[in-house]
Amino acid sequence: MLPLSMAGTGEALSIFKVSGKDEVRRHLAELGLVVGQEVTVVNRLGENLILQVKDSRIALDGRLANRIMVT
Amino acid sequence: MSVKIALAGNPNSGKTTMFNDLTGSNQRVGNWPGVTVEKKEGRLKGRSDVIIQDLPGIYSLSPYTLEEVVARSYLVGEKPDAIINIVDGTNIERNLYLTTQLIELGIPTVVAVNMIDVVRKNGDVIDLKKLGSALGCEVVATSALKGEGSKEAAARAAALAEEKRGLSAPSVFEGSVEHAIAHIEESIEGLVEPRFLRWYAIKLFERDGKVMEELHLDRALADHIEEHIADCEEELDDDSESIITNQRYAYIAKVVSQAVKKKHTGRKMSVSDKIDRIVTNRILALPIFVAIMAGVYYISIGSVGDWTVGFMNDTLFGEWITGGLTALFEGWNVAPWLSGLVIEGIVGGVGAVLGFVPQMLILFLLLSILEDVGYMARVAFIMDRIFRKFGLSGKSFIPMLIGSGCGVPGVMASRTIENERDRRMTIMTTCFIPCGAKLPIIGMISGAFFDNAWWVATSAYFVGVAAIIVSGIILKKLRAFAGDAAPFVMELPPYHSPAASNVLRATWERGWSFIKRAGTLILLSAVVIWFLQAFGVTSAGFGMVEDNNDSLLAAIGGAVAFIFAPLGFGIWQATVGVVGGLVAKENLVTIMAVCYGFAEVGETGEEIWGILNTTFTPIAGYSFMVFNLLCAPCFAAMGAIKREMNSPKWTVGAIGYMCGFAYLVSLMIYQFGGLITGELSFGLGTVAAIVVLAGLLYMLLRKNRYSEYGGELSVNAAKKDVKVNA
Repeated sequence: MLPLSMAGTGEALSIFKVSGKDEVRRHLAELGLVVGQEVTVVNRLGENLILQVKDSRIALDGRLANRIMVT
Repeated sequence: MSVKIALAGNPNSGKTTMFNDLTGSNQRVGNWPGVTVEKKEGRLKGRSDVIIQDLPGIYSLSPYTLEEVVARSYLVGEKPDAIINIVDGTNIERNLYLTTQLIELGIPTVVAVNMIDVVRKNGDVIDLKKLGSALGCEVVATSALKGEGSKEAAARAAALAEEKRGLSAPSVFEGSVEHAIAHIEESIEGLVEPRFLRWYAIKLFERDGKVMEELHLDRALADHIEEHIADCEEELDDDSESIITNQRYAYIAKVVSQAVKKKHTGRKMSVSDKIDRIVTNRILALPIFVAIMAGVYYISIGSVGDWTVGFMNDTLFGEWITGGLTALFEGWNVAPWLSGLVIEGIVGGVGAVLGFVPQMLILFLLLSILEDVGYMARVAFIMDRIFRKFGLSGKSFIPMLIGSGCGVPGVMASRTIENERDRRMTIMTTCFIPCGAKLPIIGMISGAFFDNAWWVATSAYFVGVAAIIVSGIILKKLRAFAGDAAPFVMELPPYHSPAASNVLRATWERGWSFIKRAGTLILLSAVVIWFLQAFGVTSAGFGMVEDNNDSLLAAIGGAVAFIFAPLGFGIWQATVGVVGGLVAKENLVTIMAVCYGFAEVGETGEEIWGILNTTFTPIAGYSFMVFNLLCAPCFAAMGAIKREMNSPKWTVGAIGYMCGFAYLVSLMIYQFGGLITGELSFGLGTVAAIVVLAGLLYMLLRKNRYSEYGGELSVNAAKKDVKVNA
């Protein structure tokens, strides 16, 4: 288990836990980032990353990526 | 009886395209009451009794963004007769999340599976019947871009609305959750409208703050409901909100697995992914961005744009209209004051503004194309890293980019920033970027004092960017803006070729906000200013004056000019220029020329360069330019700020901040600059400038009492260490 911010590019990962404030967690859930969801890091730009979630691409910053634990 | 149909869907689902397709030019654009979310309404083409209400693009009906609150209170409060829910067929799982919430409202719903052409091209098959029966509503395949199916969706929705048949939502949740919801429904029966019973019950189960507030449940009832929720939470070992979210997705996954056959399962690099590999590449991202923007400005301001401005100002207004009118008036023997008013006042003033229209439209056309293609979202992502360092999010960058054309649509573009604090800061700083109308001011100063040196214009943009950075850092340390910029999360839409209708519409909407000013405020001010400079009191009494220095304008300007003395331009012509600049920045040059007694001058006022050069020193000229670039923008942009801030206090605060900031920066430029060139000696002004500089440095360097960033940063660093060690 490791935070998404450290996961390798191109690997299929599964979300294990999303921590942080309710509001942010809810927004992430609306975008499809929920426990059990499969995600892939498509690209990185500094600390920010682009994820593939379901059939969409979501950009998020490093601090948020730290809050998402994946396996 | 008219029928109201609401259009709801995720951002990027093609909602705007469908709305335009359904209503054509028959639209009314306004604001939702009390907020600055855009409200678009239109009548269905060919059915004037059907009103289509476009709702903002939302991911869910939870009340946390302005858009969601607006959409939700419209759906529950105004009770549309039917909903068309637009679902992106290529991203159906995520899009159906909102659908499961919409169908709980009990309003007749038609699901439009949009972008069906792309779905087909991918080789995927969506079984509309299965999807419809699982969701309990009608499903239509559409491709708004190709005009396929939109009309059918609207016709079905209208038919459903007329039938007035409620909709029975499927059981989305598992046994124990449905059980708890049923209990809640039972206990609030009679308190809410029957059709919304299920929706309210689910919201109460989620402990939705807004709904709890709205219903004013008495203590006993609230405790009773809480008991059911707590039981359910214990059984499923999760909080109620996550339970609902997870079960929604589980239900959707089940529905999709039955109704959607994908040709390619598993991950495949899409074209968008391949483009993103290059465009958001860590090394190439910035150079590509700079190259694209350089191209945009080269076309719109440099080559093509410059030609159009030349044509509009010199040929159209300068020769054809002015020449034609002069000949006409001479033929009619029109009184000199009237021909002066029309030709010098109105044509000169309004023409100076309209001259920029083609240039502005070209810039907005190019930016709208970048937006429609999907590149703007990437720009926000690329710039986020940089902007975050001084307290703004990457989303603030787009308003500034648009603001380089015109501040009005720039300020309006700040709407896409969800976080209120970030949005306010963006509104306050967007107008620091020199807009198209400020270019003549730069041109005038650079021509009059610096022999048209290239660095003057470049430094103007640099001053603008520096003002944003400094403001970002300073404002973040005030309590009103405290806290880090909101976390950056944003969906990146797939790249697609631009749709002409969308691009042209967006270009026109932005361009129009610029043009509109010419007919109203600017026309009025041109008349007033012409009158004030043409009339005055002399020894012969009140009347038209020969010498401008005798005019009313000179008297008024002279009375307040002392304010600008410490900045180096305390003379009445410059003061009047500043005020004229508030009407429209491009007006400043014309008005100063009028003050010096020139009727018709070129775009950058070549005719008055000589006079300026003898009245001002170069440092004072530069200080004058910087002041006009940074101080309050034109009235139209101030109006936009007022609308977007939606609060008198914040509007005054924002404009006051800009003026104050501009004054202090110009003070420092003139005082320190003058000391270096030797034109000023050490005095009161120097002391004031030193105090300002010290204050500024203190604000920049002092520790931010409100920031948690320091702590967070060290956590990041620690994690990195772990990675290195591992």
